[in-house]
Amino acid sequence: MDSMKLSKDKLNSFVAILAEQKQLYMPQAEGETLKYSPVNAKVQPDLVFSNTAVPAKSVVFPQVETLFRYEVEKTDIKMPAGEEERVLLGVRPCDARAMSIVDNLFSWDVDDPYYLGKREKTIVVGLACQKPGVNCFCSSVGGGPASTEGLDVLLTDLGESFLVKPLTEKGEKLCQAAGEIFEEASSDDLNSAEKLHQEAAALISRSIETGGIPEKLPGLWESGIWKEVSNACLGCGICTFLCPTCHCFDIQDEIEGFEGRRCRMWDSCMFGEYTLHTSGHNPRPTRRERTRNRINHKYNYFVQKFDVIACVGCGRCISSCPVNIDIIEILQQVKEAQ
Amino acid sequence: MVDLEKMRTIAKETVSRDDVRYLIGWRQGTYGFRVSPHFMKGPEEAEKLIFSPLCSNNLATYLTLTEKLPVPRGEQPDSRKIAVMVKGCDSRAVVQQLIEKGIERERVFVIGCPCEGVLDLKKVEEKFPGILSPVEVEWSGDKIIFTLPDGVKEVPKGEVLAKKCLSCRYPNPVMSDITLWDEVKSLGDGNYEDVKEMEEKNPQEKWSFWKDKFSSCIRCYSCRNVCPMCYCEDCVLDRLNPQWINRSANISENSAFQLARAFHLAGRCIECGECERVCPVDIPLMALNRKLAKEVREQYEFEPGLDPESKPFQSSYRPNDKEDFIL
Repeated sequence: MDSMKLSKDKLNSFVAILAEQKQLYMPQAEGETLKYSPVNAKVQPDLVFSNTAVPAKSVVFPQVETLFRYEVEKTDIKMPAGEEERVLLGVRPCDARAMSIVDNLFSWDVDDPYYLGKREKTIVVGLACQKPGVNCFCSSVGGGPASTEGLDVLLTDLGESFLVKPLTEKGEKLCQAAGEIFEEASSDDLNSAEKLHQEAAALISRSIETGGIPEKLPGLWESGIWKEVSNACLGCGICTFLCPTCHCFDIQDEIEGFEGRRCRMWDSCMFGEYTLHTSGHNPRPTRRERTRNRINHKYNYFVQKFDVIACVGCGRCISSCPVNIDIIEILQQVKEAQ
Repeated sequence: MVDLEKMRTIAKETVSRDDVRYLIGWRQGTYGFRVSPHFMKGPEEAEKLIFSPLCSNNLATYLTLTEKLPVPRGEQPDSRKIAVMVKGCDSRAVVQQLIEKGIERERVFVIGCPCEGVLDLKKVEEKFPGILSPVEVEWSGDKIIFTLPDGVKEVPKGEVLAKKCLSCRYPNPVMSDITLWDEVKSLGDGNYEDVKEMEEKNPQEKWSFWKDKFSSCIRCYSCRNVCPMCYCEDCVLDRLNPQWINRSANISENSAFQLARAFHLAGRCIECGECERVCPVDIPLMALNRKLAKEVREQYEFEPGLDPESKPFQSSYRPNDKEDFIL
């Protein structure tokens, strides 16, 4: 299916059409925080932001998710209702790429029905980045401001209109359903989109040559750099919770009266409790081991297993770290370490 | 006046002492306006030390955040001092830790840095967005001077200073082993105008305000971990049996978490504002802390973190206590 054009004055109608057909998620401010939330057809779409504080992963991998419900002292369990079809609008290419990276994990040895159930019913409509943030380094890790991996449709802001490029069958169906509001895109439109993509890529100022890092990391297990880079770490969960590829979870039973539910929620390898054994032993006793794990998981273990770096260069862990622990700097030290 | 040469010289001398394990100061961060805590093991690392309006981090946190691994059989624990650089507010954290016996006086060496106020990075990065190369920032009277890639800019202090600094009464360290330069004048008179504004709201307004804020909490615990007064080895939030607060992030559990956190800091919070600075979802946590600080100050005539010889306010009773039901 060819690319089309959506005039900006029809954006509201496009959003309304999407919201009528499926559950629509768009970046919304909750308190001061921009995150993807369900919206209705009347929402005023605002797609001008550098990126959401909380990544789009929260739609397919919510911070808290009920696995099943039960009554105390009874043996029946009640599964949650099936997933509804949903559309995510305005996703940045890094967050979409992150989903396709995390898909590897949740469909690896055992299919995870909760994650995959949501993922299959989700259509991701992305918006190419035009103003990358100061810590963006997506182009160093295989992405880019107009990367299409993990997206079903890519929008590019042409000023007065959006260029709409369906990328998958799901994306094409979605566009066909909204067909009448689109115009034909001219070759000039395609060219200007291409030019904008290139201009955005040129605005990315941070970078790291990642070649050789996955191979080098195993040899640095006992290196002094881990103590060095984790000295200032507070052991909080910002870097992992706000990471679009971090996918670790805890499972807990929550009981009120006789009503119980088993649920899973985001967990962080930066917490001491994450690896604490019931014996009291902790194989990752300090922030040195935890920081080492965070970097190794993204740049070593995941690469060995799935042949892709589990970092999309969105820069959130850098921008939000209260003590300026900077993953690009750590990778640089890994490269320089003897 | 900030004297970086003196700071570095003292740091070299301190870290070279046999009874000092390492020194914690500040260094230029990896980009823009960021500053990072600097852990110095030897005198050669002193050149990286800085002190500027960007040095927000309260380094007293690291005194209690040190992870103590089991000491191998036959070895003695390292009992050398940790040297730490403190601003006025940070020094109150050290004092409060001493009051609570969270640290031992002979295990710390405190280097005082009188401070003319630190910046609110959100305000600064909004004013000067997208700056990657490290920026030098200095105090100059009632202005802040930024040496940006495209030239030097002067900004009135009031526009960029952190809110907590505008009402700060303790810009000079209240305790130190050595103070690096002359004392500075305090900016605030310690009024609680901001608290009064919140107090005037009715319960519905208050709840709708906090409900909105607490809903966005992602339970990353950065507010707890950065807090120099949150150093319980067994935190109530981590308890599983009994589990006082569920791990689920929702309005009920988040509110319980945030209220527990605030209450545990009543009469202990030294108002360094670190919790609010680090929150990735911008919850105005100091509004809770300041309300409790005001209550403690007015009802108990007590201010935490001022006198290392004093007792924690909960364990001190005075015969002239305002409430007569106690006896």
